[in-house]
Amino acid sequence: MSFIAKKNTATQRANATSEERIALAKPTLLQRITRWLGLDNKSSLYRYAHDPRFGYISESRVADKWTKTTCGYCSVGCGMLVGTKDGKPVAARGNPDHPVNLGKLCPKGLSEHLIVEAPGRAKQPMLRRNGRTSPLEPVSWDEALDVMVSRIGSIQQEHGRESLGVISTGQLLTEEFYTLGKLVQLGFRTSNYDGNTTLCMASAVSGYKLSFGSDGPPGAYADMESADVVLLIGANIADNHPILCNRLRKRPGQLLIVVDPRVTKTAMMADMHLPVKPRSDIALINGIAHILLRDGLIDRSYLAHHADGLDDFISFVADYTPEAVSKTTGLSVAVLESVASLYGHAKSAFIGWTMGVNHSTQGAMTVAAINNLSLLTGNIGRPGGAPFSITGQCNAMGSREASFTSSLPGYRKFESEEDRNQLAALWNVAPNDLPTRRGFAYPDIVEASVRGEVKALWIIATNPVVSFPNHNLLKQAFDSAEFIVVQDGFYPTPTMEYADLVLPAAIWGEKEGTYTNSERRVSKVNAFAVPPGEARADFDIFVAIAERLGVRDRIYPGWTSTHDAWLEWQRVSAGRMCDYSGFTWQQVEDAGGIQWGGERLYRDGIFPRANGRALLHCVPCIPFAEQPDAEFNFILNTGRTVEHWHTRTKTGQVKLLDAMVPNAWLEMNPIDAERLSLRQHDRITVTSRRASVPDVELRITGIVAPGQVFMPFHFAEHNSNLVTLGDFDPISREPNYKQCAVRIERTSWN
Amino acid sequence: MDTDSAELVRLTLLEGGASPQLVASLIPSRPLEEGEQYRFHFDMTKCIGCRSCEVACNEQNGNPADIKWRRVGELEGGVYPQVSRTYLSMGCNHCISADCLKGCPVDAYKKDPLTGIVMHSADACIGCQYCVWNCPYSVPQFNPERGVVGKCDMCRERLIDNREPACANACPENAIQIEIVNKIAWTEDYSLAESPGMPAAGQTISTTRITLPQSSTAATAWLERVDTGAIALEHAHSSLVVMTTAMQASFGLLCGLALVRNLDAVSLLLLLLVTAAALNVSVFHLGRPAYAWRALKMWRRSWLSREVLCFTLFFGFVTAATLCAWTPLLPWHLQLQRLVAPLAWAAIASGVAGTYASASIYLVKARPSWNMVHTPLDFFLSSALVGIPLLSVLARPALIITAFLHRHGFEVARPHFTLYPRLLALTAGVWILNQMVRVARLRASAIFEHRASFHHLRGEQLWWCVALSWICALQAVLFLFAPLHWMALLSLLAATAAVLLNRYLFFVSVVPLSMGLTFIRDRGTHGRAAA
Repeated sequence: MSFIAKKNTATQRANATSEERIALAKPTLLQRITRWLGLDNKSSLYRYAHDPRFGYISESRVADKWTKTTCGYCSVGCGMLVGTKDGKPVAARGNPDHPVNLGKLCPKGLSEHLIVEAPGRAKQPMLRRNGRTSPLEPVSWDEALDVMVSRIGSIQQEHGRESLGVISTGQLLTEEFYTLGKLVQLGFRTSNYDGNTTLCMASAVSGYKLSFGSDGPPGAYADMESADVVLLIGANIADNHPILCNRLRKRPGQLLIVVDPRVTKTAMMADMHLPVKPRSDIALINGIAHILLRDGLIDRSYLAHHADGLDDFISFVADYTPEAVSKTTGLSVAVLESVASLYGHAKSAFIGWTMGVNHSTQGAMTVAAINNLSLLTGNIGRPGGAPFSITGQCNAMGSREASFTSSLPGYRKFESEEDRNQLAALWNVAPNDLPTRRGFAYPDIVEASVRGEVKALWIIATNPVVSFPNHNLLKQAFDSAEFIVVQDGFYPTPTMEYADLVLPAAIWGEKEGTYTNSERRVSKVNAFAVPPGEARADFDIFVAIAERLGVRDRIYPGWTSTHDAWLEWQRVSAGRMCDYSGFTWQQVEDAGGIQWGGERLYRDGIFPRANGRALLHCVPCIPFAEQPDAEFNFILNTGRTVEHWHTRTKTGQVKLLDAMVPNAWLEMNPIDAERLSLRQHDRITVTSRRASVPDVELRITGIVAPGQVFMPFHFAEHNSNLVTLGDFDPISREPNYKQCAVRIERTSWN
Repeated sequence: MDTDSAELVRLTLLEGGASPQLVASLIPSRPLEEGEQYRFHFDMTKCIGCRSCEVACNEQNGNPADIKWRRVGELEGGVYPQVSRTYLSMGCNHCISADCLKGCPVDAYKKDPLTGIVMHSADACIGCQYCVWNCPYSVPQFNPERGVVGKCDMCRERLIDNREPACANACPENAIQIEIVNKIAWTEDYSLAESPGMPAAGQTISTTRITLPQSSTAATAWLERVDTGAIALEHAHSSLVVMTTAMQASFGLLCGLALVRNLDAVSLLLLLLVTAAALNVSVFHLGRPAYAWRALKMWRRSWLSREVLCFTLFFGFVTAATLCAWTPLLPWHLQLQRLVAPLAWAAIASGVAGTYASASIYLVKARPSWNMVHTPLDFFLSSALVGIPLLSVLARPALIITAFLHRHGFEVARPHFTLYPRLLALTAGVWILNQMVRVARLRASAIFEHRASFHHLRGEQLWWCVALSWICALQAVLFLFAPLHWMALLSLLAATAAVLLNRYLFFVSVVPLSMGLTFIRDRGTHGRAAA
């Protein structure tokens, strides 16, 4: 892929290596000579000064203005202060007043101000005039949007409205998700619209719906602090949500149990690490439930008042005896007994999970199984007790609530006539203008494109070429699509290889609105910079497209800014579970974010199912689909590292972060390495039934189990998603990234 | 949108409602007393390896992305699932007996009498990078943009303002703190500075206190560095390769000229040219060549200053001897030829001292494969290896110039030259033997850095350089045995190539003492290492 070879060169001193700084200075001949002789040691560029707020620091980082905002990387939702000098971002700091992070940031947040002026920003619309083989050429916005609307229009005219597929993101503002949802469903009138959030937390959404009747993480970060027992399942928060770690190990006597087949950074923090076999988590959870029921460690009165399905459940988990579960999970009976007893006796028990659970063909059901444990012990709706999905992207929650993808805005159901009528009335549209069922989910849009049902694709702020599993299928889909629009803040991204049209978008720091974090905290996001070149805020792009479709007045009556979208979204969400109507932008900003639904949901034990009671599900533990065999004898697990974010479109632009971890690696247990005569730093090829990834650096380490290998998914250059399995959860449609069968061979010696 | 709070208190944690005890634990709450200094405390049990401290440090100091005054490393041990991976986060250790400071030729370092912080002045620094070689933790780093070195100063000015350093501020787990230490008590017992992945603390008496995980499990007992499988080659310092070779050649040549009583005007002039070239090249090793003269300053303490001093004297004596040798041709009838020999012998004495000082620069504990007797041996043997054929090669131009001068009526002494193939054979033999013994000792050593240097030398990038260098040394001998006179030139070229290659290997193959770093990292432009 040609984009990989392109090395971005620094445009700002702050984000440059020393050699790049020398090149950036563009010295005159005289300066060259004084530099060469060492007469000038550049002390003026390395001076220190007193910042009135933060004290003595490099003069280059002293700001004349600090803007409060919320971090645009992960869903922890840290409050930040971004310092600007003469309108240029110079520093990022944790906001000490913000309740989420109390002034702390991870390395990505601390360097986030560098993103805005990074060299790889998209600055102008680009169009391929003569098919995919012709180059992307700069065009005006007018031409770009005209082409977009007319091409999509003619494709829809010929093949039906549903021939447009829209793949969005978790990166936009809630106000923009709300705006985009209306544009897609009421303007383009296609329901084949989904977000990349389906690649990350759709299973949590579906699991919550299965058990409680609605999405909505019931707990809060405070519960991680106050719980007696914190059970983390498939959640490596030390790498992926590092600022949550300081909630743990704070209260003496709290017990941290981490369930993960890999001995992650988080597992190292744990009091007990349970190294389960891959995808045996359901057996473990059912096994704990079995012991809780056997020993009477359940909250009978809670179950009697608030949950259905106990009898079926009791007979279902009868088979999950400690002995049977020990066999499935690889944990000893003694460990199982002890974990169940600790969990059952805890005054409050918190279960957190992330992608180890969600990235599975049984993700939604695993979430339901986790919810079972919380219901059995009454650990829901009270301090320290919650089944808590720790989300991925900064505004995945905003997308869940407002975006019109997996549900109608405000957690309304497509299938519910009452919900549709209510929404139609709020919008002043005819009820039959609203779709009655969800369209294709993300993987189904891709498959529909392969089948030729979806002909046009609009991809917003996501990079499927690196992030979608089984790349070959995606490539087929893109090759068969007639027209692909990619809207992103960066150029080029690997996905733009396939774009017919590129729309340059503003990013974090250039837009005003809100993000909602994992604990339902709505936080204010503010602009401190203007978009580069001709890049425009996604909101403005959506409004301009609506204008061209002739629907602007109908769907965005009188709107000029994201605040207008916010005001309407407040009205639309009023009275719903995710009720945004109780606070203004200013209140949200002043308070350091406000949680919709209060600190925790379901305090009264009333659940949004028809009878108000939650449902216990019987969740069988089914082995994962692609088991290792003689030819493909390793189980490949994928994940992340703290220095990078997703597909590195952002962190790859921050020199310091990129130099910390410049390439992918594959972790292998020493026993396997010895068997294959591999050595540290050898270059290896990972091969699955689908493809190969060559030239990956080998790391031999005891943190992975024999027979398993691990690889980060950040790197386009060593794309783990060439080999991962294109298998999806039947309920949530989330991909099964975490387990597939591969073999490992040496590409070259170290 | 601008923040409304007028003043954020000194500790970012305080406003978030953290307990005053926690705040007080990040920096000392009382002033230093006599005999005390500040130090870092790193709590390995708290660190989650997030590397916020590294970013915060670079932001604090406005440093380029490739220069990190605070670095995070990984340690690992155990067998799945009883495995442990912990992290080291280290800035400068602000040692009680700091080697960076002792070696500095320009006195750019000082141990702050107020705080005990080891401070470096970018204005005094000339960019010789001797501190980079001396520090066992590889703390000082050269910044090519500035032409000077820089290092962690514990955010001294922030501490004086009662604010915590940037790293301590950024750490979400409060794993980095500033403490007060009594210097005498610590010098007597610095065992809490020791950690896996860190060089022994005793060499410089590192003040950083490290809280290690309790070795209750097998895994924590064996924590080891993970960065040792791919150690990058060090910088080649090409100007030093050329300068040391050329200085040794001119020193060897002068010895030869003196021994064969050939201290005539023309030969001395040619020698002077070689020496001047060598000295000019040497300053371009510096980040700030214009300030090379400052390097004379610390001759009482620094081997680098002594080298500069001795070679300056060497150059001075050679210049004086040359001038004296030319006096008969000058109009003023100064008959100073009789001073030539004493001046030449004075130059030889300073050359001996200079070559010894030059070698002593490399006898630093922090660079174990340099810190061997083979280094001074090599420097003296190399002088002979290049000096001997150079002596013969200079015959041709010296005779031509002399003849030219004679033709124009200038009476200068006629140089006489012969070839010394047997002497060269003996020198080359000992020279190669010295290298071979060194390589063998590196291989068999108990010291990791020695063995790692050996692995560099026998690795695919370097082994052929080693072989070529030895072959060149042998070839130099063979050429000198040839009956054709002009073959002496080839002999000189071969001998020079042997010494240049060997010196290049000397620089690139050294493996410095350092803290353990991360497994995956940008290993710089010097290329991948042999395993």
